[in-house]
Amino acid sequence: MAETGRLRAASIPGVVGSPVLWLRLVIIATVLAIWEAVAASGLLYRDVVPSLQAIAGAIVRLLSNPEYYWNLGVTAGEVGASLVIGGLSGLVVGLILGGSRLLTKAYEPYLYYLGPTPKIIFFPIMIMWFGVGTGSKVAMGAISCFFPIALSAAAGMRQIEPILIRVGRSFRANTWQMATKIYLPAMRHPIINGVRLGLGVAIIGTLLAETKLSNSGIGFLIIQAYSLFDMPRMYAMLIVVFVLAIGANAFVGWVGRLDRVKIR
Amino acid sequence: MTSTTTTVVRVAALTRFGPTALGVATLLLLLIAVEVLIRAGFINNYIVPTPIQVAAAFERIILDEGIGSRFLLTFTEAFTAGAMITMVGVLAGVLLYRFDLLRRATETWVAALASAPTVLMYPLFLVIFGRSAWTIIMMGFVAGLPPVILKTIEGLVTTRRVLVDVGRSFKLSRMQLFTKILLPAALPTIFVGVRLGLIFTLINVVGVEFLINFGGLGQLINDLAERYDLPGTYAAIFFVILVSVCFFVVIERLERWLRPVA
Amino acid sequence: MAVGSTPTAILGTADAGDSILVVDDIVKRFETPEGPLVAVDHVSLQVRPGEFMAVIGPSGCGKSTLFNIVGGLVDDYQGTVSVAGTRMRGPHPAVGMVFQDESTFPWRSVIDNVAFPLEIAGMRKHERLDRARHFISLVGLDGFENRYPTELSGGMRQRVAIARTLASEPKILLMDEPFAALDEQTRLLLGDKVLQIQQALQQTTLIITHNITEAVQLADRVLVMTYRPGRVKRIVDIVLPRPRSSAIVSSDAFGHYVAQIWSDLREEASRGMRDEETRRKAGEDAR
Repeated sequence: MAETGRLRAASIPGVVGSPVLWLRLVIIATVLAIWEAVAASGLLYRDVVPSLQAIAGAIVRLLSNPEYYWNLGVTAGEVGASLVIGGLSGLVVGLILGGSRLLTKAYEPYLYYLGPTPKIIFFPIMIMWFGVGTGSKVAMGAISCFFPIALSAAAGMRQIEPILIRVGRSFRANTWQMATKIYLPAMRHPIINGVRLGLGVAIIGTLLAETKLSNSGIGFLIIQAYSLFDMPRMYAMLIVVFVLAIGANAFVGWVGRLDRVKIR
Repeated sequence: MTSTTTTVVRVAALTRFGPTALGVATLLLLLIAVEVLIRAGFINNYIVPTPIQVAAAFERIILDEGIGSRFLLTFTEAFTAGAMITMVGVLAGVLLYRFDLLRRATETWVAALASAPTVLMYPLFLVIFGRSAWTIIMMGFVAGLPPVILKTIEGLVTTRRVLVDVGRSFKLSRMQLFTKILLPAALPTIFVGVRLGLIFTLINVVGVEFLINFGGLGQLINDLAERYDLPGTYAAIFFVILVSVCFFVVIERLERWLRPVA
Repeated sequence: MAVGSTPTAILGTADAGDSILVVDDIVKRFETPEGPLVAVDHVSLQVRPGEFMAVIGPSGCGKSTLFNIVGGLVDDYQGTVSVAGTRMRGPHPAVGMVFQDESTFPWRSVIDNVAFPLEIAGMRKHERLDRARHFISLVGLDGFENRYPTELSGGMRQRVAIARTLASEPKILLMDEPFAALDEQTRLLLGDKVLQIQQALQQTTLIITHNITEAVQLADRVLVMTYRPGRVKRIVDIVLPRPRSSAIVSSDAFGHYVAQIWSDLREEASRGMRDEETRRKAGEDAR
């Protein structure tokens, strides 16, 4: 039966635009106003709350500085490499585990319980094995994203409808064909979600490693700003990193939704 | 007939314990292989201590490094952050549920926060709170808050319509509807949110302890690494993994124990 | 028989004077994307104290809407609903509702479920648990007081829901297809149980159902509704001996009533089916 009386005001008569948009603008404006007030009052010591103008200026300086882009490139490269290494190995391991009940029961608990541990604690070992350069950062990113991708792939394997597998076998597809033409396409949504998660943790793992011990990359710049107590610059970098990270996450999500729109 | 029964029992036991045994056996095999390879010189002993050396270091770090008080410190930090995310998170979730417009405006922001690298703000928190437990607690709080809020909203929104109708048919006041029907119905989902939040909180607590070299278990690893005590570092890392695994197993059991009432 | 507003002849021998529930000229419209939809179209009915009335109709005849209106969960409609002479808008303590869906609170034990209305009314713990036990016994669930709904079968859970509503001692018991999710045998047996209780308490009951056997088995009068827009098609007096049991289903008189009601219902149900098919086809072509 039709909904009884659950009306939703889509718009307030006389006001342009949706109430949601207006409320968001009001909230943002209020936060910025409070920030500026605290900054001007000097309540917190020194530069902990710099004025909005100072932060804006720092953002501009940052984005117009080629040094920033070089470091961004270093970090992006590290994240990319760790996604490839951690992602591919995670995918392979996940596919193998997901395809066999015995292997799942034997090894998946290890992945499951190792997953939510703070990988940064492995960093000293990574330094020993791969040196203080980009190698250890890529290793950090790789072990960070290996787990969510492996677990998503394994879960994805298990949720494939058995009928699809039988069809493949009935056409006598070999293992490689089965993997690329049946398993992977059938699993694309769990995999996309796993990659999304993996991207997030790879970014975190790489950046944290850079803050701990590095001489290049965005993480290094952030900790450098901290040691120089250049707060506007630190805020600027944090804002830019957050925007990039959320943007990358949204992008992967958008890619994941693409074929759903097409199928309609 | 007895031989058939014994075979059936044997097969049953094999399928039940077989895989676990396989997993454990593989692990032991790997450790033995590493031990052998190091002794044979294929792996450099300077960067990888033998499993036996690591095992020996265990006793050392437990006795000499005050593992008890460190554990307690980490636990207290995580507990404080955990209590904060529960109280603030559930309250925020309830408020967002109550004020629909506010929820529609801010829910996507909360979801975005969940995927953002909030832990990167630790240098900022260092400036504000100094090298203290509060930096660690606040980082744990920020990391664990979004899932609690989101799951609280979800739990309240997905309460079955008929349960609310029952409440209305008994002429419950708005407050009674909330406390006697909506909240109990949402509790299982809220608990899932708290579990997720606690996981993120603990990861961040230990991680930040390591990064700022302050606190309990995370700091221990950092300390031993800076002293170039390699077996000790490995042992400490292993210990932290053990602690976090136990923590999550406990939380899972707790959730499953509370679940059947749902 | 005339379809449209309800002439007195159809209302039968009762007059408004001695009825405890008077539903007068209810019209309920819904706004849908396809335009306004009339769910209930000038429906009136009266129920005498202690009477068991069944409202039966095809899917889409508005009977569930009627249930929500009489129960007070819907309040923008035309017409009036009066209980014991008092006009009501909104849920009324004198009207108890038993819903079609699973409505027991999974986090409360059986006895806490049944005691719920008494708890709301502020009754002291000792007293309300005592009263709850009485109603639990009435529905035949002795011994299950401290169990949880997840441990019970579907039929047992519905009995808990009925006991809970009865515990509030409503003047009128409203039930919306309470046995729809149960198998036929359980349904017949539970029907027996409900009849026993109704007789013992002399509870005025209005049940919404799509099941003809159930309607004839339980009711004193059966009101047949038309397909959308829902109007009263006919009211049938069921003259079968009381007390009744499910054994009555094999009697000739029973079969006669079922046949009579089915011939009315069949017309409406067919209309409903054709209408549904036309709508779906139109929806497909539109894409």
